[in-house]
Amino acid sequence: MSEQTEAARGATDPDLKEDVVLRVEDLQKSFGALTATDHATFAVERGTITGLIGPNGAGKSTLFNLVSGFYEPDGGRVEVNGTDVTGLEPYEVADHGLIRTFQTPRKLEGMTVREAMLVGPREQPGESFLNLFFRPGTVGEREGANLEKAERILEEFEIDHLATQPATQISGGQMKLVELARAMLAEPELLLLDEPAAGVNPTLRNKLADQIRRLHEQGTTFLLIEHDMDFVMNLADPVIVLDQGHVLMEGPPKAVQTDQRVIDAYLGGNV
Amino acid sequence: MGVLSDPKGYWADLTRAERGVVASVVAFAVLLLAGLLTGALSPTYFLFLVGIAGMYALLSFGLNSQWGFSGLINFSVAAFFGIGAYGTALMSADSSPIAGGYLPIVGLFVALAVAGVLALAIGIPTLRLRADYLAIASLGLAEVVRLVVLNERQLTNGSAGVRGIPQFFEGWPVLATLPQQMPGLVVRPFPGTELVLETPFWGALLNVAVVVAFVGVSYGILRRAHRSPWGRVLRTIRADEDLARALGKNTYAFKMQSFVLGSLIMALAGVFYAHLNLFVSPGDLDPVTTFYVWVAVILGGSGSNRGALFGGVVIVTIREGTRFLSGLSEFVLDLGVVALQFDLSFISSNVAPLRFLLIGVLIVVLMRYRPQGMLPPQRELIWPSVVDDPPSKLESGVRGVKAGESDE
Ligand SMILES: Nc1ncnc2c1ncn2[C@@H]1O[C@H](COP(=O)(O)OP(=O)(O)OP(=O)(O)O)[C@@H](O)[C@H]1O
Ligand SMILES: [Mg+2]
Repeated sequence: MSEQTEAARGATDPDLKEDVVLRVEDLQKSFGALTATDHATFAVERGTITGLIGPNGAGKSTLFNLVSGFYEPDGGRVEVNGTDVTGLEPYEVADHGLIRTFQTPRKLEGMTVREAMLVGPREQPGESFLNLFFRPGTVGEREGANLEKAERILEEFEIDHLATQPATQISGGQMKLVELARAMLAEPELLLLDEPAAGVNPTLRNKLADQIRRLHEQGTTFLLIEHDMDFVMNLADPVIVLDQGHVLMEGPPKAVQTDQRVIDAYLGGNV
Repeated sequence: MGVLSDPKGYWADLTRAERGVVASVVAFAVLLLAGLLTGALSPTYFLFLVGIAGMYALLSFGLNSQWGFSGLINFSVAAFFGIGAYGTALMSADSSPIAGGYLPIVGLFVALAVAGVLALAIGIPTLRLRADYLAIASLGLAEVVRLVVLNERQLTNGSAGVRGIPQFFEGWPVLATLPQQMPGLVVRPFPGTELVLETPFWGALLNVAVVVAFVGVSYGILRRAHRSPWGRVLRTIRADEDLARALGKNTYAFKMQSFVLGSLIMALAGVFYAHLNLFVSPGDLDPVTTFYVWVAVILGGSGSNRGALFGGVVIVTIREGTRFLSGLSEFVLDLGVVALQFDLSFISSNVAPLRFLLIGVLIVVLMRYRPQGMLPPQRELIWPSVVDDPPSKLESGVRGVKAGESDE
């Protein structure tokens, strides 16, 4: 290994990061003979938009599933905000401030957009069955506040005209925006976005990028998987590259784009 | 905006399907009323039918709050119904081999407690798993409960059943003896028809009061729950459980609540039945009840409480209506010159298969023309005090879209 790459690694060594929201250590997962996550180690620093890229099948989504509690890892550790969350249920991981979205948009059959938005807020008093009957006032108050928040964020995302549309009848791009908006209602410290720009037209894509940037400025940390290089390189710093389940490198977008290993593994020389 | 205060606005606000349902309900009520006034339908029997309809409505509510709300597949409706019926029967009946003699209200709570425990017992191992596990386990549970009731004679009297169940209001002041104390009345709505209202009638009326109270309370609870954030999480689970999990909802706990709630309402139906029929036997746990209730919920529109109510009533109409057919033996069409005589004994001797045929046709027609059911949830479900002016009707109905057609 050359001295230069050693140095490049040292600069982004997970142990050297100061304020870490998410720490992944030596994470492993295989499906039968297929190793999807191969001793992956990295950390996400608070206040960053961290990109996660890699060729198809590199194990990016699997990594999200492991981190958010959807899959049980075969080995290794996941830490959110300094707490070990390895093997916890997704709702318990969410309690520590981590929310994720899915690669394919999830449709809420039978709800309007604003109803679907209202699933987002956490710890609603109205989610307790007994409160519905013994503290209806509190339930109503919070529901009102949540609805206001939901409508405000829909306005900020410039999709408030969709509020009373059936949630299944909006375009794929709008659905992605709604998903992001809903996830924000859960007030996460760290938001994991799996290909937020996939299938979104260029205009909406810019809007999406603007929103992510804006929310980032307001204090949310992002970890985002994306295949669209322009999108991710404009937004994210640092960028982590995953290949065949392990972390190939991490660095600022420029360094990643010119790194020979990355080009070999993924970009195929077209950068 | 109520039906009474603004009937025109109410009507204008309905979708076409809802108008159809309202119209047929009104027509049906008129028909029943005519039957009553002309003496074709005995008032006491009519009240019994209302009781049975209420019982089916409760069962449909129960299944709707499992399948309709959360997408839980429960094939042991009959078992929870049976637990309710046997629970209260064994507590209150003279012939109970284990307890007996308690007030029916005690029986009610014991029955609900047993049903709740049983729901937990089956929910704990299956609700963490994929949806199909609950379906399979509940199928097994139904059979286990039925066989236990049939074979554990020292607990349940076995095939002899439990006799001597008291009326629901046994032991209450006033209400317990109200039917006996009411005066016998003879009403003559038309010359020539005479309705005799005596003790059995008043007893049946009291039973109807019980079931109306049960149905009313259950409906009130479910309606509020459906429009709440709690119900919204359940609906999210039904649509996409992983999404609910990703947003930090403890879906296992929510599914458990939905399952237990539904099971309790089913048991409540059983409790009512025991004090209506005053006799329960293993035959009451016939799995066909589960089938009827599923048809009722799907017919009414999964997820809709009023749909479940409607479906329950339709099923009772089919079930009881076809009973009349067994009385038919021949039909004579007298044209004056010639009299045509039709032999209808093939109908009367085949009522049970005919009933299934009818329901089968109904399901096929429904699936073809209205897969979302007659009264699917149509309106936005947000806590009532929050949205002062909810869009009373979504442009095309939130659910209607699924079937590729709109309601307008
Ligand atoms: N539940 C599963 N069972 C079996 N194999 C799986 C499962 N999930 C993922 N895999 C496999 O693991 C590998 C990594 O998949 P993953 O979805 O994590 O890739 P990805 O980097 O997200 O790819 P893409 O960019 O196409 O979304 C793939 O070969 C995939 O087929
Ligand atoms: Mg993926």
